[in-house]
Amino acid sequence: MELQEYNYRFDELEVSTDIIEKFMGYQPGQAPEPMPQLIREVLNQAHDLCDIRGGYVIKQDIAVNRDDKTLHIHGVEFDVKKIITNQLKKMDATALFVCTAGPGISNYSKELMHEGDFIKGYIADVVGSEIVESAMDKIQADLENQMESQGLHITDRYSPGYCGWSVGEQQKLFSFFPQDFCGITLTASSLMQPIKSVSGVIGIGENVRRKGYVCNLCDMVNCIYREKKETKKADRC
Amino acid sequence: MEELYGKIAHCVEFGKINLASPYPPDMKGQEGADELTKKAIDEGFPPEEVLKKGLVVGMEKIGVKFRENKVFVPQVLMSAKAMSTAMEHLRPFFESGAVKRKGIFVIGTVAGDLHDIGKNLVSMMVKGSGFEVVDLGTDVNGQQFIEAIKQHPGCYVGLSALLTTTMVNMEKIVAEIKAAVPDTKILIGGAPVSEEFKEKIHADFYSRDPQGAVDFLNRSVA
Repeated sequence: MELQEYNYRFDELEVSTDIIEKFMGYQPGQAPEPMPQLIREVLNQAHDLCDIRGGYVIKQDIAVNRDDKTLHIHGVEFDVKKIITNQLKKMDATALFVCTAGPGISNYSKELMHEGDFIKGYIADVVGSEIVESAMDKIQADLENQMESQGLHITDRYSPGYCGWSVGEQQKLFSFFPQDFCGITLTASSLMQPIKSVSGVIGIGENVRRKGYVCNLCDMVNCIYREKKETKKADRC
Repeated sequence: MEELYGKIAHCVEFGKINLASPYPPDMKGQEGADELTKKAIDEGFPPEEVLKKGLVVGMEKIGVKFRENKVFVPQVLMSAKAMSTAMEHLRPFFESGAVKRKGIFVIGTVAGDLHDIGKNLVSMMVKGSGFEVVDLGTDVNGQQFIEAIKQHPGCYVGLSALLTTTMVNMEKIVAEIKAAVPDTKILIGGAPVSEEFKEKIHADFYSRDPQGAVDFLNRSVA
């Protein structure tokens, strides 16, 4: 399948004051002053700072090796380890994805931090994270719709740097995309620039499902996604 | 005297930076850590006591609240801002040697990792407890840590990581530091790190929150 590309404006994403408060640990609407005001200021700025781009490429020639916990995509071996192997074992194809909020929001956060405005700098950092996650949610939802129309399902998304999958393997993952795709480059230590970028794989097949993240299987007890998940769970109770 | 120290501690704990700061709303129009610290110094209060009985007490209180999930990162940052603003009045005493730092803490996010919020938080809390902090930034390799340690003999070292996979680099850096400067005490922290991991890589201390690092450092210099 051809490379799919997406561009979003900030106002197309669901990034609100409530969501940012929640990401920071507060119940929505419960963050003390001056946080709500500062969040609003950063969100207003974010309109002009973002260059939100992403995309994915689907590969059919894949194999999941449960013995050595590897994933083989179009002849390239990924050492994704046990948790991800288990989550993807029933897939028949995979979508390799990348997405970025662009450099503007990260630079804005760094500038604020450099000027000593750590609170607003932190909020800008959180907003950047939420922008790229929200954009990737939309891309994933679009992929899911397309696959469902063909009678297929998708898994959750899994990224280098999590569940034991080495961030160094991002070099291999990016080999599936044109150079500087979406303006993302890799540092010598395989980290993405702009910082507010995500990459990874999503399983596709008749027998796969989105199960939610399997935090009980992961020993990363302080993971930001675990805390987010538990906050959401607590909110529902 | 004790009342003024208590007020300074209260301002730091609640992030009341100065008179002009409208936050927190219930302290609007009141003097903040900035003015009260200046007042204490101008009135001849011992600078070391202003630090220990006022500013440090406030930072410790917010650190404990953060550990207990009663406050979140932005409130700690507000407190750190109040603390650092007030510390400007103590700077001449640090520079003259009239007030001694407890020690030097070298901190950085390990090679392969660009995340710095957690590292900054620990840095501010440690600074707020009376240590000099040398922040090496992010994506810091073993050699950079070793150079900083050699520049600051006897310093404590903090390694931060957010990604599971940069834990590997943390292990490598700890080994490099211990080989080059064996007596160095190394603290580790960050989302993927644990007490078990600390044991495995032969680091000296692990804490899941910044106040734990502060407590360890205070115990070490006591």
